[in-house]
Amino acid sequence: MTDTSLALDPAEMPSARRLPGDLAIWVFILAEMLAFAVFFASYAFARSKDVEMFNFYQQTLDRNAGAFNTLLLVTGSWFVVLAVQAAHRDDSRAAARRIGLGFLCGAGFLTVKVFEYAAKFGAGISLSTNTFYMFYISLTFFHFMHVILGMVILAILWVKTRQGAYGSRDAHGLESGAAYWHMVDLLWIVLFPLVYVMR
Amino acid sequence: MSALFLNPAHRAWLILMIATGVTWWLGEVGAAGTTAIVALLAIAFAKGRLVILDFMELRGAPLMWRLLLEGWLVVVSSLILLAYWISLK
Amino acid sequence: MQYKSQAVAKPYFIAAIGLFVAQILFGLILGLQYVIGDFLFPHIPFNVARMVHTNALIVWLLMGFMGGAYYMIPEEAETELFSPKLALAMFWIFLVAAALTVAGYLLVPYSTLAAMTGNDILETMGREFLEQPLITKVGIVIVALAFLFNISMTVLKGKKTSISLVLLLGLWGLAVFFLFSFYNPVNVVLDKFFWWWTVHLWVEGVWELILGAFLAFVLIKTTGVDREVIEKWLYVIVTLTLITGIIGTGHHYYWIGTPEYWQWWGSIFSALEPIPFFAMTVFAFNMVNRRRREHPNKAAVLWALGTGVMAFLGAGIWGFLHTLAPVNYYTHGTQITAAHGHMAFYGAYVMVNLTIISYAMPILRGRAANSNKSQVMEMWSFWLMTIAIVFITLFLTAAGILQVWLQRASDTPLPFMVAQDKIALFYWMREWTGVVFLIGLLVYVASFFVGGREEKAA
Repeated sequence: MTDTSLALDPAEMPSARRLPGDLAIWVFILAEMLAFAVFFASYAFARSKDVEMFNFYQQTLDRNAGAFNTLLLVTGSWFVVLAVQAAHRDDSRAAARRIGLGFLCGAGFLTVKVFEYAAKFGAGISLSTNTFYMFYISLTFFHFMHVILGMVILAILWVKTRQGAYGSRDAHGLESGAAYWHMVDLLWIVLFPLVYVMR
Repeated sequence: MSALFLNPAHRAWLILMIATGVTWWLGEVGAAGTTAIVALLAIAFAKGRLVILDFMELRGAPLMWRLLLEGWLVVVSSLILLAYWISLK
Repeated sequence: MQYKSQAVAKPYFIAAIGLFVAQILFGLILGLQYVIGDFLFPHIPFNVARMVHTNALIVWLLMGFMGGAYYMIPEEAETELFSPKLALAMFWIFLVAAALTVAGYLLVPYSTLAAMTGNDILETMGREFLEQPLITKVGIVIVALAFLFNISMTVLKGKKTSISLVLLLGLWGLAVFFLFSFYNPVNVVLDKFFWWWTVHLWVEGVWELILGAFLAFVLIKTTGVDREVIEKWLYVIVTLTLITGIIGTGHHYYWIGTPEYWQWWGSIFSALEPIPFFAMTVFAFNMVNRRRREHPNKAAVLWALGTGVMAFLGAGIWGFLHTLAPVNYYTHGTQITAAHGHMAFYGAYVMVNLTIISYAMPILRGRAANSNKSQVMEMWSFWLMTIAIVFITLFLTAAGILQVWLQRASDTPLPFMVAQDKIALFYWMREWTGVVFLIGLLVYVASFFVGGREEKAA
């Protein structure tokens, strides 16, 4: 499909090539990803100006927490994709349960992150400490807010799925929300190695 | 076990978990320099691609959308690589 | 028109256009003072002319927003306005307050005006764009609250559409952020910090929601495209606007005493501000291309398309030109800013007001659209004003680049006034283009008085 308008109902498209979810959510996802792309590139180029400082302070980050959070988001994404599959089989109960599990993974992510922030802020680190911490806090916090938004969406999907709103005939709403949740995962998959590991 | 291969989501999940472990391990051993950077970016790229194709389920989507999302991965990793390459010089 | 109470929009629109003419006249005085410094001195000094030029703009845009809301909300909510009498009363209060304020600017020295109007009780005056005396500011709040009460009650008793909700969000935001004009801390950094909460969060935040809602309304009416489709676009645009616009405030926080991270936040997020404007352009053209009917009001459709394009150019592109911190380091407060300001205000807010006026006025006067003759004139005025603003922007951009070069980037920087002398040629060209703009505006006003065979009543 080369038509970028939001006017075309995805259901009208031939099933061979189908964009899951609503076109509007994909436009939105792309804009969000563009914002993160600019942020990632800014980090990388700012780092090239002062590699030693970035490398030094990168060591102070909690890599275990970061890696564990990756596992949580990946698993959360996995649950949600399984929920979409269940909805397509008209199994609303399984779908709702898996959305709930995905939500719990998100909650786990936030918990780990809160402990990580507490340790950093407790050590007196702030946005103004240095450029590395400025990026570390800005990037992870911007992502943190996206996890929260993703969980709000999952909560809505959970309620609607339990009401049987999605099934083999129409699961656009669920697919749209799921796509957003996967984006949150995708962004972290780049963010984690970039900020925590790569040197 | 066969379900693992029948459902692309299961397969993607397993690979993503293992790949995350590898990234973590590279951090633990303190891998640094060109090889480590390229390896980490390659892993991130492969992981991102799995999320796009099997979680977002864009494998069967119109080509434009696959290209847009995968293109994002290409652009982001290239920019990061470029910046790190500059810093290595 | 579908609802009798929509008629209250008419005086708002007429007053808006009247103030628009005043704004342009003072703009021409101002432009001339750039090259003939003592023109009209001491009767209308530069600072007074500038104050009238910018304040008249803000007030007429607000008038247009209110008129547009009074027109749109009953039709969207499918019910009569909560209180047409209140709307009319507020119109007169607002108009008289605006007239008295301008008279105050012109007749007495600003410091005398401040002393006369109780500025010593609560010091709010003397800040760019928020120069209004305390009593005027209080008056604006009262009018805004009465207006919001009126349209919120209308929506509450009627149908709640996405478009009216977005409009309400924008209008409430407008009122809430205006409250920061009453907060004037002694610390000049804090003063500027919160000053932008009114100024920036208006034009790069909540006003864009109003813009989106008006555009969506006119497009639904003129193209007949499904409401669902248009609302979806509106949601995407609104979210993008809020994300980029709110954090994008940071592009005003470079080197004014705020923490350094604002340079990153401001640069990154405001660099993305063109996206919602681009989405708006695509949206407008897309909807017109897939129109299901030929609306007789061609002029309104032209204004709607023009809004999309010019807002993207003026706010998006010209904003991006100097939004990155390293660029802004050189361009801050030069004619580049003036260039961006002119095209962005015209492209986004002037044009969207003219769009809704162009769509609603004929209906308020009892016909679906104006006569062909009148519409042709209106379209002429569209092109005259739009092309004039493009050239004003280009000349000011040239002036700005030269100014940066001579006064800031050079190894032997020139003093401000010397640099100003060197770019006088561009100021002259800008002034003549401004005359073309005025001619366009007069043609626009004249188009309201042209008869001919009209389209049947809607």
